[in-house]
Amino acid sequence: MTLQLVGCSHRYSSVATRERLAFSPAQAEAALDGLRQRFPQSEAVLLSTCNRVEVYSAAEDPERVPTHQDVAEFLAAFHGLDALDIFDDLFERTGEDAVRHLFTVAASLDSMVVGEPQIVAQVKQAYDLALAHRSTGPMTNQVFQAALRVGKRVASETSINEKRVSVASLAVADFAKRIFERFDDKHVLAIGAGETCEEALRYLHDEGARDVTVVNRNFERAMALAEHWRGRALPWERLGEALAAADLVVSATGAAEPIVTLADFRRIEPARFQRDLFILDLAIPRDFDSAIGNAKNVYLYTIDDLEAACERNRKDRERELPAAMRIVEQETTRFMAELRHHATGPIIRRLRQGWEKSKDDELRRLFNRLPDLSDRQRDEIRQSFDSLINTLLHLPLKSLRDAATHGGTLHALREAVMKLFHLKD
Amino acid sequence: MLSGITIFCFAASYAVALLLEASRLAFRSGVRGALLLGFGGAGLLAHTLYLGHRAMQAGTAPLSSEYDWYLVAAWVLAVVYLYLTLQHPRTAVGLFTLPLVLGLIGCARFADQVPFPRTRASQIWGMIHGGILLLGTVAVLVGFVAGVMHLAQSYRLKHKVRPSQGLQLPSLELLERANSLAIRISAVMLLIGFLSGVVLNIVNHGQSEDEHVPWTDPVIWSSGLLLVWLVAAAVFSLAYKPARQGRKVAYLTVASFLFLVLALGVRLLSTTRHAADGKRGQVTGDRLQGAFCRLAPVNCNLSPSWPGGRA
Repeated sequence: MTLQLVGCSHRYSSVATRERLAFSPAQAEAALDGLRQRFPQSEAVLLSTCNRVEVYSAAEDPERVPTHQDVAEFLAAFHGLDALDIFDDLFERTGEDAVRHLFTVAASLDSMVVGEPQIVAQVKQAYDLALAHRSTGPMTNQVFQAALRVGKRVASETSINEKRVSVASLAVADFAKRIFERFDDKHVLAIGAGETCEEALRYLHDEGARDVTVVNRNFERAMALAEHWRGRALPWERLGEALAAADLVVSATGAAEPIVTLADFRRIEPARFQRDLFILDLAIPRDFDSAIGNAKNVYLYTIDDLEAACERNRKDRERELPAAMRIVEQETTRFMAELRHHATGPIIRRLRQGWEKSKDDELRRLFNRLPDLSDRQRDEIRQSFDSLINTLLHLPLKSLRDAATHGGTLHALREAVMKLFHLKD
Repeated sequence: MLSGITIFCFAASYAVALLLEASRLAFRSGVRGALLLGFGGAGLLAHTLYLGHRAMQAGTAPLSSEYDWYLVAAWVLAVVYLYLTLQHPRTAVGLFTLPLVLGLIGCARFADQVPFPRTRASQIWGMIHGGILLLGTVAVLVGFVAGVMHLAQSYRLKHKVRPSQGLQLPSLELLERANSLAIRISAVMLLIGFLSGVVLNIVNHGQSEDEHVPWTDPVIWSSGLLLVWLVAAAVFSLAYKPARQGRKVAYLTVASFLFLVLALGVRLLSTTRHAADGKRGQVTGDRLQGAFCRLAPVNCNLSPSWPGGRA
């Protein structure tokens, strides 16, 4: 049984190549059907994310697995490209290396941002899609199920995917979610209408935030951003009113001075009734007077606070990397050993069955010739034959089992045993 | 077989669960969650069987001694702990809840095991009185746990402490809701429990002078103090909006716990006729001495010099 992967990833290919080879969900379905038609004897799973496009294939007969050239031609044909243009951008892994690679990917150790949590779900979606299109088989089923287990194991035994490394995601996941249980009933106020605010709003929207108010000096830009998030825009003069109603504030204006001073905040404070307020001040220089952070039930975070946390998280992830890689290595070794045992199991069984049959035939013949043997004598002879067979089989079976555990010469040994004892596959 | 289960069995299980909870602070583990549930569940099972056995062994009124009252309160709190652990498996709720469970079991060790002998009428009022006060006590304890967690979480957020794997706590919003709810429930329960106690005392007064508790009894005034505080806190948080928000509500629940400790301390340590055996007279500090005797029987005698002891 051979497993192979051919594909491109952020490690070996440019963004432009990845974009050209990427599959939308609908395209992925069509591609799986195409792979099945073109390589009917091979199993196939297609993993397509923004950082990688990988085609996993497997077949009992190595000759039936599509080659690097085959996959390049298939991808090129699907996307209307020239195969020669993409051939060198594709990398290839076979056997144990392919298994290790998939486990590394599922554990988010091969991601552009190591530890990002979406990849496990993406691997699962790719596998589920292949299952639904019946393009999987014994090998891809085993290896993808194992990969999902490895992803979970790495996530539970290390903290590699718990530490956010982007400012906005960290602010929402590590701090806002410790203040608020839910976001769908919270008032979100965005001060400013630039990319920074938009990114933070995206994370808050992912957490369920729906009530968005945008305040910006340029009202048209505020309107545009508010429309995008189905919120409302307010003129700059109504900032105080919006602040009094807000539960979460994201602020990223280009103002040279703080736009909310402590005196401004004290004015609106009575209207808030000391409700919890999370302020994410992502502006440089800061939009909120730092003294506001001392007010009751106000949690003020500046970009410096969050950058420092991001940096610490990056270092934490790096520290977790060796432990995560050890898990991947253990799981790869275990998976390959199980696979080899699986491959040698039928041979061992057939070999033993063949010898058992010969033993039974010989015993029957012997007992026919010697009809006067007592039951006790027959049992003794049976035990001797059993012992002889076990002794004769012990070394060849041990060699097979050792090869299955440690790899190496398994394939050659397996072939030799099959030839020597006339066993059929 | 059930008689083989002792208080030590479930206290030890809860203690191991607490140690496992504390180990969150030191290292990660993939099996800790299962072990926690295992030890917590085993403790609760043994606790349940122990209480069941005591209830079956009792006469007309099961679990009607002060000793049982503490153990049932600990049982309810242990149920709350297991429920929260299942609901929020990654949070360190047990680190705050299990010490209280063990504390209640510890109180039981010092409490009187003699059931309250009662007539039929006072037995019903007694069960209402004890049961409602028990639920009110658990509500105060749950509020205290939520309050302490709120203060810890709020402190960490104010000081921009990153979330740690070992000490994950629920969100402030959830804890705030739990705090507010705990204050209201405990105030209502204590009020009903106290009023039913008044009725019980009047019923007892009409039936037997021995079972009547004087209104100046330390347990009555300390419970009254707790009740006044809880009602005031509940009214305050209802009438004054900021008292329902943030740390204020957490401070209220922590203060409620201190009043509860005062009330339970008075009950354990003072000379009182509350919950006393009518034939025996006053329940006094000698129960503490008795408990110490059970723990260390050597060199222990019921001495008249023991504070409040019977001569």
